[in-house]
Amino acid sequence: MSLYESSVKRPIMTTLCFMAIVLFGVFSFSKLPIDLMPDIETNTIMVFTSYSGASASDIENNVTRPLENTLNSVEHLKHITSDSRENISVVTLEFEFGYDIDDLTNDVRDKLDMVSSALPEGVSTPIIFKFSADMIPILMLTVNAEESMPALYKILDDNVANPLARIDGVGTVSIAGAPQREINIYMDPVKMEAYNIPIETVSNIIASENRNIPGGNFDIGNNTYALRVEGEFESPLQIMDLVVGTHNGANVYLRDIARMVDSTQERAQEAYTNGKQGAMIIVQKQSGGNSVAISEAVKAELPKLQKRLPSDIEINVLVDTSENIILTVNTLTETILYALLFVLLVVFLFLGRWRATVIIGITIPFSLIASFIYLFASGGSINIISLSCLSIAIGNVVDDAIVVLENVTTHIERGSSPKDAAVHGTNEVAVSVIASTLTMLAVFFPLTMVTGMAGVLFKQLGWMMCIIMIVSTVAALSLTPMMCAKMLKLQKKQSRFFKVFYTPIGRALDRLDVWYEKRINWAVRHRWTVLSVCGLLFVGSMALAPGLKSEFFPSNDNGRVSATIEMPLGTRLERSKEVASKLTSMWMERYGKNLEACNYRVGQADEDNAFASMSDNGAHLINFNISFVPASEREIGLEQICDEMRADVKQFPEIARSNIQLGGGGGGMGGQSMATFEIYGYDFETTDRLAKTLADSLRAWNKVTQVNISRSDYQPEYQVEFDREKLAMHGLNLATAATYVRNRYNGALATYYREDGDEYDVKVRYEPESRTSIEDIENILVYTNSGKAVRIKELGKVVQREMPPTIERKDRERIVTVDAVLAAGTVLSEGVEYGNRIIDKMEIPTGIAIQVAGSYEDQQDSNRDLGTLGIIIILLVFIVMASQFESLTYPFIIILSVPFAFCGVILALLLTNTTLSVMSMLGGIMLIGIVVKNGIVLIDYTMLLRERGLGIIQASIRAGRSRLRPVLMTTLTTILGMVPMAVSQGDGAEMWRPLGVSVIGGLTISTIMTLIYVPTMYCVFGGNGVKRRRKLLKKQRALSEYWKENKKEEMLISAKK
Amino acid sequence: MKSIFITFDQSNKDAVLALLDRYNCRGYTFFEQVQGRGSKTGDPHHGSHAWPSMNSAIITIVSDDKVSVLLEKLKELDEEFELLGLRAFVWNIEQCY
Repeated sequence: MSLYESSVKRPIMTTLCFMAIVLFGVFSFSKLPIDLMPDIETNTIMVFTSYSGASASDIENNVTRPLENTLNSVEHLKHITSDSRENISVVTLEFEFGYDIDDLTNDVRDKLDMVSSALPEGVSTPIIFKFSADMIPILMLTVNAEESMPALYKILDDNVANPLARIDGVGTVSIAGAPQREINIYMDPVKMEAYNIPIETVSNIIASENRNIPGGNFDIGNNTYALRVEGEFESPLQIMDLVVGTHNGANVYLRDIARMVDSTQERAQEAYTNGKQGAMIIVQKQSGGNSVAISEAVKAELPKLQKRLPSDIEINVLVDTSENIILTVNTLTETILYALLFVLLVVFLFLGRWRATVIIGITIPFSLIASFIYLFASGGSINIISLSCLSIAIGNVVDDAIVVLENVTTHIERGSSPKDAAVHGTNEVAVSVIASTLTMLAVFFPLTMVTGMAGVLFKQLGWMMCIIMIVSTVAALSLTPMMCAKMLKLQKKQSRFFKVFYTPIGRALDRLDVWYEKRINWAVRHRWTVLSVCGLLFVGSMALAPGLKSEFFPSNDNGRVSATIEMPLGTRLERSKEVASKLTSMWMERYGKNLEACNYRVGQADEDNAFASMSDNGAHLINFNISFVPASEREIGLEQICDEMRADVKQFPEIARSNIQLGGGGGGMGGQSMATFEIYGYDFETTDRLAKTLADSLRAWNKVTQVNISRSDYQPEYQVEFDREKLAMHGLNLATAATYVRNRYNGALATYYREDGDEYDVKVRYEPESRTSIEDIENILVYTNSGKAVRIKELGKVVQREMPPTIERKDRERIVTVDAVLAAGTVLSEGVEYGNRIIDKMEIPTGIAIQVAGSYEDQQDSNRDLGTLGIIIILLVFIVMASQFESLTYPFIIILSVPFAFCGVILALLLTNTTLSVMSMLGGIMLIGIVVKNGIVLIDYTMLLRERGLGIIQASIRAGRSRLRPVLMTTLTTILGMVPMAVSQGDGAEMWRPLGVSVIGGLTISTIMTLIYVPTMYCVFGGNGVKRRRKLLKKQRALSEYWKENKKEEMLISAKK
Repeated sequence: MKSIFITFDQSNKDAVLALLDRYNCRGYTFFEQVQGRGSKTGDPHHGSHAWPSMNSAIITIVSDDKVSVLLEKLKELDEEFELLGLRAFVWNIEQCY
């Protein structure tokens, strides 16, 4: 018993089977995390190796190079880049997408074991660090405080950060901009010298006084007691009463030579929100956590925490990545619902019966819900890609059901009982339904095999589409006939409403049939005219193709901008703050309502701040985090805002560099297009010069808003140059002498002061007034082993130097990168082309190479991948069709209609001024399946009519007329399913709009072309086939006549032989 | 005793069998799928790409008095759904055991 027969006979079983799928699907759906993009696996491993005391070039030669040479042989490596800085080498390994990062980490570790013996002595063991998207903060909170400001860190740490960190899924919670308490002991150098007490002694004494020491146990009578010495300070004031030495027989107390300031760290990062100082709390999630759920949990917790805080502290959300995700997903869900509505409307208009519409409509949720099971099982999430996939699928899943329903209806109208009609009607079309599903699988299955960045995006889509297609076919062959048997019946009398409502539609459709028949009639009789017009159209639109602008991925307006403003090195904090506050007030005034919050951090961050240490920081660096209201609530686009901001920054001559990033710099996707040029070469001077020339010419172009050179400025700094001979004469070595300098300026960490379970640093150093000039450095006293004091200026000299920059390398060569951020509306290909023109004009010395990289490289990679994919898909589709038709000619005709789809895509993109991106190309690839389906429907019916004995031309015309409605129906369901996508204006719409536009454009043109071109082409090939067969017959006849006449002769010859 | 050979579109199976039951024709031989086409009208039933529908056939041996009423009813059935097609042919039975 076949599938459809048993399902018609056992409706309860069929219904319940599908209900089970729905049940599973809904369960999976409830468990699915929501995210913006599919989980992009980490593909980067960093190796940190420190070698203290080595300069950048030492590091490069002794550490980075050997590491690179060995690590280069790790499998699946795409690029190896490195930064060699003073004391540290960072090698970054970028792998191809799609490999297990844990395996790769093990490989890297093995290689490191091999190389570590070859590294110089004193090099620390290399540390492996996996970078992942999880490190991007999911939530940033701003804290405003007034009276509580000095104690803000402790208040926040105890009452906010710790409770938040306990929430499930929250990784680290860091506090920035609230300085931590520190007990500073400021020494007076003059008094120190007078009493002959160096900082080291003070620091050692403080450390040894602040101790609790257990003294063991002892017994008294029957009891055992513990013996302890408790010496830890109970109050910081006790420190000042320590005796740090004697002078002329009298005790010298610490308070005699120093003062204590119990306050905050000297150098700390400050944070400002909307111009007011406060702090920031940064929440990062644990790897694999659900951003939306976590940030919701955190936000739910905030009001409770707020109650426990002093009344002047106010916590606000600055950046909430989940907000954008939720808005985007909501917009997309809305478009899906519209798509569903449109599709049902089309079905209703064409079939004119509500029962039929219900039968068709019900297959949609069943098939779509099934894909959630896959997502759940494969650990996927609800994201732009999976939702776009649903939107695409809605128009396609109904096709099979429509074919089945149509044929069943025909049977019923012929007089079969609905039950028999359902079984036999389905039986007749089952093969072609399966074949058309196979063509769709031939399109979508290869998507699951794409590698690279595009692969990450398409794998999920490919699998989802395959599963949806298979489930929809199964539903069309079981559920649909079952429902047809139950719900359809011969309409012996139409209702009044139906007559009033549907008669005009029916008439219009009939007129359309007649009109189309006439056109076809003309076309098949003017084949060559039609074909040349088609050819011209194709060539014409292909000629327009170069005008198409391309980019990798459409940028996403998530309402966030991050900016790094760099003042010249060595700029004081006060100066940086001034610039920052000017910029803030400027932006707050201009964007007014649109601006939600403008936050910036400035200054040197604490070493143990996990978030801040990931990014550069310093007194000259200002980090802005600006959030705007969602895209749907403001008229001005984010790209434009960024461009305006860049113009503002240019007005400040004191700003050395700036980097304004759209989207808050959250990973490689969705940012503004940036053309990246890499200059490879060993010589610093030459490469610097080339980079500068390139950057200057790019800056001069009005379509570039910002150019960054990766090589940092040569840093001015003071160095103490010790004379080793003099050091030796005093019995000193360099390290000892250098420590003396460090302890006086940076401070010696004497001990920790403990209070209420928290530890605070106690630092001993020169008082700030004595740390302001070069003389102060020169006058530092260094004590020799014999206790003699020597001044620094006697041991060496203090000189001003420029530190060599960080040495960057890529693929084992020195490199400088020049990034050009393009203005809104300018696309990547344009920028790259312009850059290449500049490069062509430049004189490039031998040994130096300039090449384009970055997102353009990614784009090229994925274009190539998608191109190969397109060819594989076309071949697979051809194979499926050729097997179905058992012919090579007809599939060829159909495949030739695919280029028209691409014409349509190009025209639609050009007309709507949309760029060619991964999303629009995805649309193009999907088109192959749909266009081919239309062709199959036409050719299949034409062949059927010819088998029934019609002539070629008659068969083509009749088939065209009778298949017009099914073709229009499948096309319209798909097009209207995509319309909401193409016109949606909500948050995140710019990401999927290209997809909608390209499918609509491609499908419209290709359907019109298919309807005219396929019958014409069929006549050409069919005519040729008939002529060929006639010729063959004629030949055979001539041959047999000849044989009849010359039988004897021919037989003789063969006998002779 | 006469034999009636009835060929009809698959979908008519239930109706034909019900008819036989109603007139107490217990014995019959049923051919689930047979191909064929009418001499004058009707679509061929070939189970092919061009003519996908199929026929079934029944041979039933009935007493002479049932023949006319059966034929009449079958004709009614055929006329109700002309597009499906149904034909009946009657033979004499020479011998049986």
